[in-house]
Amino acid sequence: MNQENRAIRIGNVLRADIRGFVAASRIPEPEVPTFGTFVHAPIQQGQRQLTGLVYDISMQDDQFLRHLAVTLEEDNPAHQEMIADQRERAIPVEISVVAIGYRDSHGYHYGLPPQPPMVLKRITVCRAEEVKEITARPEWMRSLLENREVPTDELIARAIQRSAKLHAEEQQTYLITTGRYLARQLVREPLRLETLLRRMAGGE
Amino acid sequence: MLQLAELKDEITALKHATIARQRHREVKTEDALKWLADAPDAPTLRALVKQQGAPGEQYALPVMDDAPLDQRFQPSGQPPSGTTVVAVDGSQIRPDRHAAILYYLLQVGGMIFRYNGEAPRTQSKSTLHFKPSELYDKEGLLITGQLGQRRTVAELKYLAQLTAQARSAGAPAPRLALTDGPLLWPYSGRSEEEHRQLLPAYFAAFSSLQQNAGMPVGFVERPGGRPLVNLLRLIRPRAGQTANAAPESTPDRLTDRELMAHFLQPGDRSIWFKRDSPMNQQHTRAGHAIWFTYLNVGTETWPVIARLETPAWAAQHATWNRTLHQVLLHQARVLHGHPYVLARAHELALVTHQDQAALNNLLQQELSAAGITTHISVKAEQKAYLGKNGRR
Repeated sequence: MNQENRAIRIGNVLRADIRGFVAASRIPEPEVPTFGTFVHAPIQQGQRQLTGLVYDISMQDDQFLRHLAVTLEEDNPAHQEMIADQRERAIPVEISVVAIGYRDSHGYHYGLPPQPPMVLKRITVCRAEEVKEITARPEWMRSLLENREVPTDELIARAIQRSAKLHAEEQQTYLITTGRYLARQLVREPLRLETLLRRMAGGE
Repeated sequence: MLQLAELKDEITALKHATIARQRHREVKTEDALKWLADAPDAPTLRALVKQQGAPGEQYALPVMDDAPLDQRFQPSGQPPSGTTVVAVDGSQIRPDRHAAILYYLLQVGGMIFRYNGEAPRTQSKSTLHFKPSELYDKEGLLITGQLGQRRTVAELKYLAQLTAQARSAGAPAPRLALTDGPLLWPYSGRSEEEHRQLLPAYFAAFSSLQQNAGMPVGFVERPGGRPLVNLLRLIRPRAGQTANAAPESTPDRLTDRELMAHFLQPGDRSIWFKRDSPMNQQHTRAGHAIWFTYLNVGTETWPVIARLETPAWAAQHATWNRTLHQVLLHQARVLHGHPYVLARAHELALVTHQDQAALNNLLQQELSAAGITTHISVKAEQKAYLGKNGRR
């Protein structure tokens, strides 16, 4: 899923804590967000918008799918329509999001939000201009770098790749600023820094 | 809580009774298969039934003069490319006098499945009914059985609508139009509502399907009834046996499904029959007499017998029959005997408990915003608490 300029609703909050939340969704496969997508959810009665990154997408099965999984064959022409249908069928999906900051009337604040979103709040994919604004300063990575419960480095690398495209005119400056920030934050972890920079460059 | 230990003796008795019944039925099946093989031609069989003077719905009447009773059809090949199957199913939320708000809801779900390599199209439609004239009958009682009748009409109307859509989209004839359950109106047909509104609407949907070259088919899995077995009992003396030819009425009598499970090989279909019931006579007067056939959509080790019902005008098309047969075998193969399109239509139609709770919440919010307070009965509240512990 690209960071497009239209609001794409991906589901509702199922459970949440201060570090992130899980959204439940029954959306067709083409609409499922990808790893590293920027999303937001309203918090504190809609006064603030929590921003986070998708770090896990878990496709749930159901009895019907389980039944079909043993009979349908992907390369069997007689099963083409049914497989296409199952891929478009609203399958239950759980989307896990890690918080990176929140926005209020004063602008963006990086780090953990004051409150998690309430259950059943709507999760929407951030528009391109929002992502550009969030990532304008490298501090959006701060809470991620301290988080050991999600695949942080993969996530940062993917999010940088995604956001760099949006900073098209000053992409070089953006990447240098981001790289310098990472170098300062990971000064005690040179191997981690090296791996992360390689991933950023698409080398791994 | 269920005390399973207290039921131990009854469970053992049930097991012995099942074994005995099974043995008894095996003998009866062998006899019935012999009568089927020795049966006279269709006109003779129809004359025999007429002589009996018994109610017509008790017997399966073979409708084609040139088809022997023991003829079996087996199609070859996959459904032709471009063939279109439309399927619908329905569900409802029943009116509940203990609920906070009195209403009922009908939901129909449908799928247009085209053999063209692309994902099928899905649709559903919900209607909310809350007017006193919809909720109460003439005696002022909350409706019960009427809901099923209204749902049956809603399903067939939706089937006709989707079939017309498929035609507009360029789907070639026949457009197979499947519904889960019988096509022959499964109610008495005697109430005023049926007479004035429901049956005319039901027959109008058949006419629409006919105009759109649709082949409506009711897929009845695990059919009950024994009209064919009853017919065979009529000819039993001709096969050298002596016994009363009247239909058996004991509860453990052989059913058509059991007989067909032995007679039809996997993929086989029987000849077409009809039942001359008062309801089918109403269908006939409306131009939509219903015929039926048996089809084995199972395997060697696990036969699955379905009864297919379709109007006579559709059953008489040989090519439509062949396409229907090919499609149902293909559709049923992936779900071990149940057509895929019907399973999906069911899923699309289903109103879950969560859906119902969400609708109730929304209705209550709307009314609350208008200053109207609603609440469920104390009994319903208590049941909801107990329900959380898994009780019913």
